[in-house]
Amino acid sequence: MGEDLADLYENAPCGYLSLSPDGRIVKVNRTLIDWLGTSSDKLVGESFHSLLSFGGRIAYETHMAPLLRLQGFVHELALDLLDTEGGKLPVIANAAEKRGPDGEHLFTRLTVFKAVDRRTYERGLVAAKSEAEAKAAAEHDIAVLREQFIAVLGHDLRNPLMALAAGVRMIGERETLSGRGRLVVAEMGASVSRAQALIENVLDFARGRLGEGLALNRDKERPLKPVLEQVVAEIRAIAPDRKIITRFSIEQPVDCDPERIAQLASNLLGNAITHGAPGLPIELEAYTAEGEFVLSVANGGVPIPPAARAQLFQPFFRGAVRRSQQGLGLGLFIVDEIAKAHGGSMEVSSSEEETRFTFSMPN
Amino acid sequence: MVIRRNNVNISGAGSRAMMFSHGFGCDQNMWTEVARKFEPDFRVILFDHVGAGRSDLTAYDPAKYARLEGYAEDVVEIGRALQLKDAIFVGHSVSAMIGALATLQAPGMFSELIMVGPSPRYVDDGDYVGGFLHAQVEELLEFLADNHLGWSAAMAPAIMGNPDRPELGVKLANSFCATDPEIARQFARTTFFSDNRADLPRLAARTLVLQCREDIIAPPCVGEYVHAQIPNSEYVLLDATGHCPNLSAPEKVTAAIRAFV
Repeated sequence: MGEDLADLYENAPCGYLSLSPDGRIVKVNRTLIDWLGTSSDKLVGESFHSLLSFGGRIAYETHMAPLLRLQGFVHELALDLLDTEGGKLPVIANAAEKRGPDGEHLFTRLTVFKAVDRRTYERGLVAAKSEAEAKAAAEHDIAVLREQFIAVLGHDLRNPLMALAAGVRMIGERETLSGRGRLVVAEMGASVSRAQALIENVLDFARGRLGEGLALNRDKERPLKPVLEQVVAEIRAIAPDRKIITRFSIEQPVDCDPERIAQLASNLLGNAITHGAPGLPIELEAYTAEGEFVLSVANGGVPIPPAARAQLFQPFFRGAVRRSQQGLGLGLFIVDEIAKAHGGSMEVSSSEEETRFTFSMPN
Repeated sequence: MVIRRNNVNISGAGSRAMMFSHGFGCDQNMWTEVARKFEPDFRVILFDHVGAGRSDLTAYDPAKYARLEGYAEDVVEIGRALQLKDAIFVGHSVSAMIGALATLQAPGMFSELIMVGPSPRYVDDGDYVGGFLHAQVEELLEFLADNHLGWSAAMAPAIMGNPDRPELGVKLANSFCATDPEIARQFARTTFFSDNRADLPRLAARTLVLQCREDIIAPPCVGEYVHAQIPNSEYVLLDATGHCPNLSAPEKVTAAIRAFV
């Protein structure tokens, strides 16, 4: 038995709709009539707009109708057709203009497929996307707030710590103490120094994250050697039982921020104290050479595993092996930031013999 | 910069300039048919609003384009770049008001304003009939959120997740009227919640209001209102239906413009 084309049109598994150039329905198939729960009499002669929701009508007039005129077809329109009870039937439609021999617009034909499940799925996707975007935006806001909080807290902690440091120093220098008392005061002094250093790191980190970057106060005139000697003296006060060897050969003036270089050296030495083998000496070397300034700190002990080396300069990174309270893991991150701010870089080498952090910058 | 940002295309032979501006939902292609007819006598300028067609999507600034004045600033910038003086501005739909605002921002740039299907306010307000209810505009915005109509061709590879291999991106069927869906939604919000009624009496340019019958976006009563409010204006009701006579009846639009200029 041959296919019946009239029946195919009327009862195809999709809806057919033909519109006149002014947008009135001139022909519609049985399938679409059944989907909409209406009759042919009611539909023919009506404006296509009457089948569309308000939003659909505006979108059809402003986007789809112009597109049809311009290119003769539009594919994959997502529309909601209104049925007789006011319900919405989500459909996907392809549309094409039937044009006469001289290009005149005769009809607009639409082929319509039900898209209930597909639309539900698409709406779910869109909802999930907006939800994820809202969540990410909220988290970003919280992160900024948290960093601002850290910056303010760190800043406000500086003053009481400074008072504490001055008080401890005064007791140590002027008060008569027992041997045990002197020991306790020295440890208190070391702890306060360490707390101050941690807060400086936190503040620098927060500043960097808040987009202010690390500010440099370059001073070529100020000799660097006394600044570094002062750092070593402070570290020795904190860890009197550790041996620190220094080798300075700073022949040319260095175009750097001396305070920042002191912070870099202090962080590296503090690191060497924490991670280096207690019985082995720590070495601080600084020299100027042809066109560069190099500063390095070396210690003996267990080498840093190669896998960890790549992450050393990430904020909040702490080695897997921990012996003591090590702080936040910001020290090396700040060191790296200081190096970058000077147009320089940090390198690390680590073997059974020694672990060495080297800062070099063009000079 | 401006020329690239707004994908400005210049053609024609005349000394006087005629700038055509598209409305919401399409791009400069909707003016091609009409604009071509003026090329022998005018310097014809076509462009895409930022966010539509082949404009520079990275130039889209949600704050700037939340007001029609932002779009008018672009028109004025294009006019300055092309050193326009006493030119003719032809704006369809929302672009009619954008052009009106541009004449206020830069007096002398356009001496004649042709408004095709204009509306100074789409939402009804007291005695004023714009033809839209507030809730209906909200429904339209919802519809646009639902609909992926007119994905920009420039965005397709990125959407498909292969920006470095564009051949893997879908070849988009629609080569006209492309727009980023999110920008389309924001443009709809700017357009359909605009209210520029107070600007109409201030217009100094000689103005033609072209109105269609059975236009659901800008019904004839709105066109008549615009005509009544603009001091130096003429009103022509075209024998055409729908909102886009520049596409459904280009020869009638062409004739009306020619008669006016």
